[in-house]
Amino acid sequence: VKLADVQFSDHEHVVVARVTGEIDLSNADSIENAVAEATPNHALALILDVSALDYLDSAGIHLVYKLREKLRARGQTLRLVIPADSPANDALRLAGVSRNVDTAETLDAAIAEFSTDAAAAEVPDQGSV
Amino acid sequence: VPLEKPHHHAPRAGQTVLPPAETGLAPAHQVEPFARLSDPALSELGLEEFLDELLLRVRDALNVDTVAILLHDPDNDQLVARAAKGIEEEVEQGVRIPVGQGFAGRIAAERVAIFIADVDHADILNPILREKGIQSLLGIPLIVEGTLIGVLHVGSLVPRVFGQRDLAILEVAAARAAPGIERARLFSALEREHQVAMLLQRSLLPKRLVDVIGVNTAARYLPASDEVGGDWYDVFELARGRLGVAIGDVVGHGVRAAALMGQLRTALHAYAMQDYGPARTLELVDRFVQAMPDYAMATAAYAVLEPDTGEVQIASAGHLPPVVIGRDGGRVVDVTPSAPLGAFSYGRVQEHELVLAPGETLVFYTDGLIERPGTPLTDSIEVLLDVVKDASSVEGLCRRAVERMVPAGGLRDDVAIVAIQNSEIDDELELQLPADPKILAEIRLVLRRWLRHQGANDSQTMEITLAVSEACTNAIEHAYSPAPAQFTLRATAEDGQLTFVVTDVGRWRAPRGQDRGRGLTIIRAAMDEVEVNSSETGTEIVMHRKVGP
Repeated sequence: VKLADVQFSDHEHVVVARVTGEIDLSNADSIENAVAEATPNHALALILDVSALDYLDSAGIHLVYKLREKLRARGQTLRLVIPADSPANDALRLAGVSRNVDTAETLDAAIAEFSTDAAAAEVPDQGSV
Repeated sequence: VPLEKPHHHAPRAGQTVLPPAETGLAPAHQVEPFARLSDPALSELGLEEFLDELLLRVRDALNVDTVAILLHDPDNDQLVARAAKGIEEEVEQGVRIPVGQGFAGRIAAERVAIFIADVDHADILNPILREKGIQSLLGIPLIVEGTLIGVLHVGSLVPRVFGQRDLAILEVAAARAAPGIERARLFSALEREHQVAMLLQRSLLPKRLVDVIGVNTAARYLPASDEVGGDWYDVFELARGRLGVAIGDVVGHGVRAAALMGQLRTALHAYAMQDYGPARTLELVDRFVQAMPDYAMATAAYAVLEPDTGEVQIASAGHLPPVVIGRDGGRVVDVTPSAPLGAFSYGRVQEHELVLAPGETLVFYTDGLIERPGTPLTDSIEVLLDVVKDASSVEGLCRRAVERMVPAGGLRDDVAIVAIQNSEIDDELELQLPADPKILAEIRLVLRRWLRHQGANDSQTMEITLAVSEACTNAIEHAYSPAPAQFTLRATAEDGQLTFVVTDVGRWRAPRGQDRGRGLTIIRAAMDEVEVNSSETGTEIVMHRKVGP
């Protein structure tokens, strides 16, 4: 049985990679490579959704840092979807890594951040329909 | 003297129907070669050799240029060229003649002998006869106990009138040879089907059972004494260390049942891997069966075992109830079976739950193991429980079931049995492990199971598993050795105070950069007390943590 699986989906300006299963030293590198590979140049950002991940440890945290560097070099942003009550968040908490602006609570919130609507929302509200 | 044409057969161009010949017409010296065709020793030959021998003798006895045998294929009511002398192309090209058409087809349909004096002007279907330059033909049906099995015909490259004497010789040859052909044909067909089915059955069953932490597994498959059936079993690993166990029985026997079994086993396995759970998995296999072009029906049961807790989810589509064997004997699991796969459209499958205590074994089997004429199934299941209750291992259990339940004289139906045991949990862990990252997932499975046994709650289990996994990761990353490196993990418990020691043969390396130091940070945060002891011989990480309410 594969320890983890990655499912990709394309959205307006972003690619979502949803990782399920477990990430440890045995598969962190191949997951990082697969995710970086699956993010096309035209995407503004990669959303790494680990909300359904069962296990993450320092190898997985290391993966996140390496992936962020890789994307930054291509001018792209990494967003993480890590709900507060997820195993991934427990690992971050124990590792003393604080959740920051790169982290979203839900996938929808992360996607909305990069959508055209989000840009439009910056203009004054024209009333509702 | 040419032969008279009977009136009750519809005339066809150039064909003359001959009445049966007087047996006495055949000269003894010409019939003699066929006497030995009914020799049992000869009929032991394979079909090919037997036909070859027959054709040579017919050719010599009648002094003809061509001889051919076409056998009847009842599936599509055609004659298939099976052996020939002088017109080998017939066989090589796999000539097929529909019964009722042409020369051979009419012989088969009307079961009469037919003579054709001039092939060029006769109603024949097979162009090879003309292409070979055959001028005249004589053919007769091959009949065994009233059943048509084929057609035998001879040909001459020069115009020839086949008379009553020729017909008599050919009829003797046919009468002697037909039973031998039928025997040899049945034998080779059955033999071939049996071999194909056995091969199929063997290739479709798991080569070896998966090795899952905390579970012992064993299985057996036995074909029936005369043919294979559609029984199968399957054991596979699911995500998060769970184990899937399936068993099934396709209605029917032979190659078709074995092939269908392979499809159902694969379908069930594939749906199961998608984590649908037992009831939904069986519902999906049912829809798969419903969508098959041919009628098919099967019974099946599927269960998922969580080794951490011993919890089992189980569902049955018309399958016999599994049994649980424990230290205090056995019991039949109360699984109300839903309808068999393929029985009703959109059938719903019910899911049941049970807990397999450490040491207990869940046993699935097919009806071949317990079905005996005149004995109610419930009685047979009691006998099975009695036979296997003292088995000391899952292998021993399967061996006993097979030895004691299979009747003398062989099985009438095939048998599958599969047993999974929730293994006993040791109070202490002492594991010698290879320094290979792949082992980490297994370590976590062992730990989770052991921690639950020690009374750890969910969050304690999560934190301790994470910390120990980090310590093991460190041992694997730092292992240096020309030989395959190893490290050890020990876990002990005393009044809810757990101690874990991970020892490697490498030196503790100073963390390289901020990222790499995170492992030790996690260990310290997750455990109550942590020591790192480095020496010339290796590094030891000792971790303590209290668990319980």
